Amino acid sequence: MQSSNTVLERKRRFDRVVAVLHRDMYRYAAWLSRDPAIAEDVVQEALLRAWKSLDALRDDAAAKQWLLTIVRRENARYFERKRLETVDIDSLTPSQSAMLAETDDSDLDDVRAAIYRLDDDYREPLVLQVLLGHSTREIAELMGIKPGAVLTRLHRARIKLKKVVDEAEA
Amino acid sequence: MMKCEDYRAAIAAEPSEAFDGGAGHAAACTSCAEFKAEMQSLDQRIARALTINVPKLELPDLRPIKVDGDTRVVNLPFRRRATMSVPAWLGVAAAFALVAVVATQYFSAGTGYPSLADEIVAHLDHEPMALKVTTEGVSESTLLDVVRADVVELSADLGLVTYARTCVINGNTIPHLVIQGEKGPVTLLLLPDEEIDMAVPLDGKAVHGVLLPVGKGSVAIIGERDERIGEIEQRVIDSVTWSI
Repeated sequence: MQSSNTVLERKRRFDRVVAVLHRDMYRYAAWLSRDPAIAEDVVQEALLRAWKSLDALRDDAAAKQWLLTIVRRENARYFERKRLETVDIDSLTPSQSAMLAETDDSDLDDVRAAIYRLDDDYREPLVLQVLLGHSTREIAELMGIKPGAVLTRLHRARIKLKKVVDEAEA
Repeated sequence: MMKCEDYRAAIAAEPSEAFDGGAGHAAACTSCAEFKAEMQSLDQRIARALTINVPKLELPDLRPIKVDGDTRVVNLPFRRRATMSVPAWLGVAAAFALVAVVATQYFSAGTGYPSLADEIVAHLDHEPMALKVTTEGVSESTLLDVVRADVVELSADLGLVTYARTCVINGNTIPHLVIQGEKGPVTLLLLPDEEIDMAVPLDGKAVHGVLLPVGKGSVAIIGERDERIGEIEQRVIDSVTWSI
């Protein structure tokens, strides 16, 4: 009975963590891979890995960074396995197209398309900062780069996006 | 005092103005204050654009592997070699030393075995004739006799069944089937009355397997050491539907 209780408790803890953070995991994966279908696969794999190594998470308060790190690694593994080519925005799959046109707001879709076109190096820190609320230090840790490099990338990303938005409004 | 160029670089990196000296500069420089407002407005649009719809979460099969403090090692018996009609069967019969890591409650009170896992492996040891490599399936009538429709329904996705008979496990008459895996025969014991809350992995030198929770019952799957049991697990889950 003890083993059943332990397993149940572990499962409950996992459910608690995932219930709060699975949206962040999915959106991060989607913007990393730029493909909702791949994002679902990546999140599934990440959840499996998280489940297996849940005991390594000492503090649930650190769960977000922990899970996003797993998502990042799983995304890298996915692309290593599949050896996918760079996404060509002019020949998107249906799921990729759907990601770019989720709303009837064409202005919003333009911004989304511009983010989609950003280089991975610029898009990822932007997602982490704006969408997931990470600090510069947290982004640097997750991406394995220096805080100064994070700030440079964020600055460049926004300048690129501002240019697109300004041109669209002109 | 911060220079405008530095301020704009900083505010474009952190529109929340989380850097030192920013507020003072913006208060004193109208142009940079406008730039800051533009960046913050842009950020709101970026945030909305990034907030894509999230599909309904489907959790993967989260199978417990080990429960600290409650794991138990069961030394399982060597298999006796049976008369072999197919050379590949040699690999199955040889050195059948299965060491199971069992992380579940005991089921088999009164059967003479300390656990369901013990009884399952002992049972396999008694029916070595079931484990032969063959492409010949059992007849449909035999399969229907063994796999009673009022107990369990099997879909054809399970694959070719090369052995089928009823056996008694833990006091219940259950279907004992063998299908052919990539590396050799794979034993399936369908246990509709044995509900477990977690999978029990079995690990040995020559073979390995799992006691898998399936709905209100369970299924024991045991194959050779390099058999990809995980793929067979999914087939079993997809193919087995309890009728009771």
